[in-house]
Amino acid sequence: MRVLVVEDEPDVIRAVAMYLREEGYSVDTADNGEDGLFKGITWDYDAILLDVMLPRRDGWSVLAELRRQNKTTPVLMLTARDTVKDRIRGLDTGADDYLIKPFELSELAARLRALIRRSAGKSQPIIEIGNVTIDMTSRTVSVDGTAVALTAKEYCLLEFLAIHRGELVTRTKIYDHLFDEYDASLSNLVDVYVSNIRRKVGRELITTRRGMGYIIDS
Amino acid sequence: MFKSLRWRLQVWHAIVLLTVLTSFGGIVHSLHWQTRLQQVDAELDRTAGAVMSQLRRLLPRPPGGRPGGGRRPRRADEAAPETDATSRPDMNVAAAPRSDSLRTESSTDHPPSVSSEQAGPPGPPRRDRFDPGPLPEEFQQLFHGDEESRLYFVIWGGNGDLLQKSDSTPEISYPNLHVGREGLPIRLVRSRPADQTYREVIHAGMFDMNILVGRSLEKDLAAHHRSGLLLAGAGLIILAAGVLGGGWLSSRAILPIAEMTATAESISALDLSKRINVKETDSELGKLATVLNQTFDRLQSAFERQSQFTADASHELRTPLSVISTHTELALSRPRSNEDYRGAIETCRRASQRMKSLIDSLLLLARFDSGAPSLKQDRFDLKPLLEDCAELVEPLAAQRQIRIECEPHSCDVRGDWDRLSQVVTNLLTNAIRYNVEGGHVGVTTRVEGETAILSVTDTGVGIAADQLSRIFDRFYQVDKARSRAEGSSGLGLSICKTIVEAHGGTIVATSDVGVGTTLEVRLPLATESAAAATETKSNEFSKELLLK
Repeated sequence: MRVLVVEDEPDVIRAVAMYLREEGYSVDTADNGEDGLFKGITWDYDAILLDVMLPRRDGWSVLAELRRQNKTTPVLMLTARDTVKDRIRGLDTGADDYLIKPFELSELAARLRALIRRSAGKSQPIIEIGNVTIDMTSRTVSVDGTAVALTAKEYCLLEFLAIHRGELVTRTKIYDHLFDEYDASLSNLVDVYVSNIRRKVGRELITTRRGMGYIIDS
Repeated sequence: MFKSLRWRLQVWHAIVLLTVLTSFGGIVHSLHWQTRLQQVDAELDRTAGAVMSQLRRLLPRPPGGRPGGGRRPRRADEAAPETDATSRPDMNVAAAPRSDSLRTESSTDHPPSVSSEQAGPPGPPRRDRFDPGPLPEEFQQLFHGDEESRLYFVIWGGNGDLLQKSDSTPEISYPNLHVGREGLPIRLVRSRPADQTYREVIHAGMFDMNILVGRSLEKDLAAHHRSGLLLAGAGLIILAAGVLGGGWLSSRAILPIAEMTATAESISALDLSKRINVKETDSELGKLATVLNQTFDRLQSAFERQSQFTADASHELRTPLSVISTHTELALSRPRSNEDYRGAIETCRRASQRMKSLIDSLLLLARFDSGAPSLKQDRFDLKPLLEDCAELVEPLAAQRQIRIECEPHSCDVRGDWDRLSQVVTNLLTNAIRYNVEGGHVGVTTRVEGETAILSVTDTGVGIAADQLSRIFDRFYQVDKARSRAEGSSGLGLSICKTIVEAHGGTIVATSDVGVGTTLEVRLPLATESAAAATETKSNEFSKELLLK
């Protein structure tokens, strides 16, 4: 899952980005509205964390412009303003959720998960594929009721494929969603993750479409 | 409801209207009666005249004189005429035992023709005593022919003997009148009895006889009663119309007030944008509405300023709080290296320092806002203060290779050293922060009249005119990204302005984009007389803040 964090306070960005990366997200950051809008339009993020008070272009305007350009990326607004008026304005402009500063990182991560799940059309936090169960709340995978230890990236790749079950997921798409701007896009990185998942969860779960990508059959 | 202005107006209006109508109706009614009585009197007088002319014809001619014309020249010793018949005791007893109104008039159109030598009964009969005997038929006709008029007459002699009376005469008492020695004929008018059903005119002293002509007033009274009722009815209608009209007028007058009240009630802290609809700006209510609207404007802008300030302040406080909260949570989320812990603690420390300085600034502003700044009033030289401050910011300037040229002259001001140092340090820090690398900052002082002017000039990027007017606003930041990076909250210049104004001074910024910015602080020079002025100004400032 790839998210964009737009926030002008460098210390907050640092903490949020690090926490989310440790959760397995790939994180892009922007410290002003213009930069945030540019990245938000250019990339297909799974979610955007958007602060309201930003230099150069405020959060409202970034959100309005994103929606005007038909970007349906789920947006979680971060704000220090907690009046009802502000919340209504945010939701009316097209924000999907709200978080008031100061916030807990764990709550931020939970809301982000829920947002991404909802936008993928999966409101249930548990996906079952044959004997494999993926719990998106606790971020755990079990085979026949036995927990399997996956790294954060491995889990994210499996979750991403599971959410898009029945669809062909191209390597480019995987790179776009699972690796951020700082990751070197080594072409065999995905192959390594996929073979690790197969080793831990089972051979037959992920099918390779040679030269195109991967798919979990529904 | 009955205490409302409208009701009070209505009641007062009704009372006033009722009073006016009643008194007016009363006056008209009584005038009408007076006029009627005068008409009756004139009629009675005419009749009496007719009776007298008849009598004159019947009278035997007195020797050497025309009938009724026995005039004698008035003697000097009889100068005191006793014209007032009412004052005579016999008259009082006999003439008007039950008379309600008795008027006497000196009859000037009848010159004295007959006089009685002696007054009062039993007076000796006069030589020209006359007994008219039965009156001729046509004379009686006068009192019988017209039943409607109900006229009657009585003729009696000076000694009280009844001489003649008409058949229609009711039971009445007739006064035994004695005309003064001079024998001035008198005319009396009376209404009798107590219910005023008869009106009588008495001509006394004519041929030593008294003639009373009277008339029943029954019909007149009935007519008068009717007209009175009519008048009362009309009065009631007018009153009703007046009260209704008054009610309509007062409700019309009150309506805008009710509208204003409704609008004013609907204006609350949640929605201050509503205004009273002003239709006629020149009317009293229009003026009131305009004044109220202006008050609402001020209230709204004060409220908006306040809520903006609160929002900004809370945002500024929440940001470092977010830093602390996220970094502690991150650090504790899994085992970290010592270096990571150290980094997290350092970040938290920075954030807490930022919060402290922000809270200090907010407290300072709040203290000044509440009007109790408790400034010292020491007299000191600005020169060492400027040099101290320049020295303080020297390390920051050195970091950016910025040269500070501090060349102040001595000038004494009165005030709080620490607060003014805060102002100068703030101005210098800004001048360094928003300067170009390798630029310079100039600090100078000069004296203009009673004012000490200290100016801080930088060679920075300058501030555009539209932003320049806002730089003293709380939380306003020209370059938010840069300010944030510098850890500035946007309160510095508004604190400077507040402190300078509390000292009775002013602060002005001028800027050329690309050339630099100059901030000028004008403070009153400390002279002996200026000390008091500063204090007054400072007090005024406090009051002004209280009013804001």
